[in-house]
Formats: sequence, C-alpha cells, structure tokens
Amino acid sequence: MGDPVETPAQSIEVTVAGCGAITALGRGVPSLDRVLRGADSGLRPAEFRTGPGPATVRLVAGPVSADALGHEPGDAREDLGDRAFRMALIAAGEASVNAGEALSRISCERQGLVVSTTKAGIEALERLVWREAVDAAEVARIQPGGLTRDLARALRVGGPVQCVSAACISGLLALRQGMAMIQRGDADAVHVVGIDVISAFVVTGFASLKSMDPEGCRPFDRARVGLSLGEGAGAMVLARARGGEGEPSESGVRVTGWGSSNDANHLTGPSRDGSGLALAIGRALAKAGKRPAEVDCVHAHGTGTPYNDAMEALAIRTVFGDSPPPVGSSKGALGHTLGAAGVLESIICVRALEEAVLPGTPRLREADSQAPTSMVFEPRPEPGLRTVVKVNSGFGGTNAAMVFERGRA
Amino acid sequence: MSGVVIGAASYLGPEGWANDRMGRRAWPSELRPAIERGELEGIHWSMVSASDPSRFARMDPMCRLGLMAVEVLQLGWDQMPEAQRESVGVCLETCVGSLDTDLRFLQTTRPSLFAYTLPSTVIGEVCIRYRLKGPVLCVMHAPDEPGAAVREVAEWIKAGEAEAGICLACEALDRSTADSAGAAAGLGPVGGRAAALWLARATGDSRGRAWTAGSVIPVARRLCFGEELAC
Repeated sequence: MGDPVETPAQSIEVTVAGCGAITALGRGVPSLDRVLRGADSGLRPAEFRTGPGPATVRLVAGPVSADALGHEPGDAREDLGDRAFRMALIAAGEASVNAGEALSRISCERQGLVVSTTKAGIEALERLVWREAVDAAEVARIQPGGLTRDLARALRVGGPVQCVSAACISGLLALRQGMAMIQRGDADAVHVVGIDVISAFVVTGFASLKSMDPEGCRPFDRARVGLSLGEGAGAMVLARARGGEGEPSESGVRVTGWGSSNDANHLTGPSRDGSGLALAIGRALAKAGKRPAEVDCVHAHGTGTPYNDAMEALAIRTVFGDSPPPVGSSKGALGHTLGAAGVLESIICVRALEEAVLPGTPRLREADSQAPTSMVFEPRPEPGLRTVVKVNSGFGGTNAAMVFERGRA
Repeated sequence: MSGVVIGAASYLGPEGWANDRMGRRAWPSELRPAIERGELEGIHWSMVSASDPSRFARMDPMCRLGLMAVEVLQLGWDQMPEAQRESVGVCLETCVGSLDTDLRFLQTTRPSLFAYTLPSTVIGEVCIRYRLKGPVLCVMHAPDEPGAAVREVAEWIKAGEAEAGICLACEALDRSTADSAGAAAGLGPVGGRAAALWLARATGDSRGRAWTAGSVIPVARRLCFGEELAC
C-alpha cells in the first residue's frame, strides 16, 4: 500500500467488506435477511427487570434469545453474563469471517475499530449499584472506552480506535468515522460495531417517557402509538477499495455519502417540520454527488412513535417531493436497538442492495395518511436497486443520513 | 492541515474560569474544593454571563458545565446570521460521559433525568441555545487516551462539511455519586471540568492559532491561562 495521505480523501473509495449481526431475529446475517424475505418480526412479549428486586414488566420487545448467545434456551437473561460484549464479539467475528480475503491482507496495525453504543455497559452498572455480583472485567467495560479497548484486543486491532455515543444516530456516525479513518489514511480497514441491550435502566427510562407501544411498534401505521425496544449487535468491516483489481465489483456495495445535523429544537422530541433531517439527507446526497431523483430507496428510522414518523415523512417530502422513492423501516422486526440501530439497519440496506430487494416495513398494516406515499409494506424484488439512503434521528435533536451504492461509480 | 485556526478558547475547572482574551477568574473560595470533588451545585450561570437560559435549572451538571464553556467563548452570537449557524458543527469528547447522571437515574428513576443519561445531550443543549444545525459528533475515550474533537472539527472544516465548529470537552463526576457505585469501581476521574475551542477557516485578517490536534481541555486551559502550547 502506498502512502495513503497522498491520495485526496474524497477519491478513496470505501467498500463494505463483510457484515455480522445478532438480533431478536437470531444469530448471523442470514437471520437478518428474513426482513428481506417477508414481514417477519422478532418482536414478542417478554419479561424484563425494572429494578433491584424481583419485579418485572412484560413488554412486546425484541430481545436476543439465550440460544442465539450460545446458552441454553431456557437460561434467564440475568444469568448470561456480559451480554453486550458477547453480542459484540459474535457480530464482529462474523463480519471478520465474511470480510475474508479483503481483511486478511491488511495488517493489524492498519485495521481500526469504531464502536457505537448508548448504554452497552449499563447492566454491570446496575449490578454495582444494586450490590449484586458483577465480574471485574464487566466493570471495566461499563464505560464505553473500556468496552472499546477490550473489543480492540479481542479483534487484534492495532490501528486507531474510537467510540461514538450520540444517541440513536450513533451507528451511522460510527460508520462515518470508520469511513473517515480510511479516507484520511489512518487505516485500510475498520471494524464498525454497534451494540446495545435492553436493560432495566433503558426499560425504566422509556417507560417514564410513555413512548412504548404495548402491542409492539407499528412504524408509519395509522394506529401507531410508540416504539418497541430491541437489542443486539451489528458489525460491518469497511475497507479501502484497492486500485485496479481491487475496485468494487459490480455486486460490491460502497459507502458514498453521509451527513448529520441538529434540529436545535428539542431534547427528546423531533422537530415538527423535519427540516433538520432534511438537512442531513441533503448533506449526504451532496457528498455522494447524487440528486434526489437518483435515490432508489430510503430506509427510515421509523420508530413507530407518532412524532418521529410524522417528522420523517415531512423530511422525505422536503427532499424528494411528492413522488418519493420507496420507503421502509425495520424496527417492526428488530425493535429499536438504539446505538446498534444505525449499523444493523445499514446491514439490511447492504443486503438489500446485494440481493436487489426492497426492504419492507414489518408490522405496518394501514399507512398513516401523512406517511410517505411510497411505503413498502412487503419486501419485493427491485433489479434496478443501486442507491439506498439510510437515515436515523435521536435524542438531542440529532439526525444522520448515509448513502450506500451498489456497483461502480 | 493549514487553513484551520483556533479562534477562541474557554476553560472552566477548579482553578477558575476564563477565555483566551480575559484573565483568569476565580470562583468563590469555597467552590474550588467542591468542584474538585465534582460537587457542582454551587456553580450558576450568572457567575459567567447574564441572560440566564430558562433551561439551565433543569440540566444535569455535565450539560451545565458544557453550556457554560461555550458561553464563556463569548463569540458574539447576536452578530451571527442564521444561515451561518447552519454550518457550525459541534463535536464533544468525554471520558466520564453521562456516568454521574446514569447513577442518579438508577438510584431515583426520576423521568426528568433520563434525557440527560446520554453524553451527547450536551450537544443538543448547545445547539438549542445557539441555534446551531451543523454536523455533530460525540466521541468517548478512555482516561489515558487523547480526545478526538479538535481533529474531527478541523477535518469538517477542511472538507467543507462545516464553516466553523465547536470542540467541546466536558467531565462531571461527583465523588459521592461515584462512591455510591462502589468506591473501588474507578469508573472515571472525579471532578468538574469543561472547555471549548472555536475552530474556523483562516482568513487574511483572522487571528488565532493554527492548531488541529490534541485534547480540548489541556489545549484550552493553556490558551486561557496564558501558558504556551508545546508543539
């Protein structure tokens, strides 16, 4: 590899070399592919702790099963140890294997890591505060910096490491940081790993905001009343495209644009006019050199809360006009996986491009009158699918968008 | 990376507070040891500025410190057009993050605290107060690792993703709160500190120092307290 600094950053192409996932749908990217094959959902009623005592609350949510984590199917969640770290290792390991030769040719020193999370270590903090048994290694991973360090060691990453924690846009920002590490010449491959778990802390917090749908989220549906919590880990290996023979193949997926913004409006609610998200999408398209008319699909944040989905619909209308590209959301299948959402949902975008299938919107029955007119209910083949825009928004008024493209520039 | 300069700096810590154009201001004498212990209830907006933001009273200590650090930059926001604010980004670096509020929320489950259990909330508070809509990023790092905000904002400006940006660092952890999780946990450095740097594209008449690396707190502290930066 020549001196990467001499190449203008924007001319360095970044490809998706491999993906890994563990979610309510199961373990492995093939389990995530179920979103592309039908309106399958991992949401189900389950019991979750809400505090130090035995009290639990029953929620429709997207928990990762003990089975998927490699334990006995009947094992209790609290007996599964550091679930967040375990999930991260599973997803990152799969992504590394899937990256194959593209990763193996790159030295450890030229590999970076970006972790994305909001509260991955919170279960250990709960146990500390509640005076329950907790392993010293888990305590060291309570803070995201410790989690990132341990994950870097496990993946034998010798290059730059970073941890992004920016609410529900963390995943997309982490992908953007991974891309930046490559384009700035700091690394030739970057593992981007998003992780979050459903904990008592998270359950209590979202319950206090009264933002959960007791029947399970229904993104963009007329009857939607709130979100469903989800958990899991998603991993993506980004790699610098090699010149000549290493250029992305016709089926390869590239990350070509990104943008972020702040609404400057409200801490826990989205802007009512969608202008902040529209700004982020516009910035991502400009970076990718794409016109709105060249976008084949928007993969929405689509939490199922009345305000979020209405805001997104307005933002999509602002950017794409009255005839937007097809729009889908995966949270009806996975739940809202918080800091992992951007990575997991981007993997769905990548798989959609590779398989030439438009992702659907699980659990959407009757689209809201204000929803985009192009909502995709059920996944369907789309041979011409080449450009997908992924968007997320989050607490603090944050918005992010990312552009994925299939084939050569 | 020529063309990006630090146009202003601010620092708040146990030693006092300042920006790079004023002398060091001391807190009332009883406050210094309190700030060193991370007890920040005694710090009020009126100590550094007028026009108390209505949201200040409900914020957690991290957001209060972070917002004050940006206010102390004294950037003349009144003169900045709305269109320009659309391209001002904010990047936060922190190692403690929202740990203090996380612990308080676990112990009280007060709903009003939940929005503050994300380190990036301070970015939201800054953007709301100064109506900033540019790119955002929140990076957490281990105590022995350098922060990333200065380089990130410099890269935004260089790449044309932002016209200017605020590099913010914020650490707020109360010793008694930390002890409630077990004194041996060592989850982060105790105390209260925040700093901000305003990075902008260099122009012919711009003052400022070309500086695009390093952690925000030590760089800002040196600039504010009149100490030379070591290259």
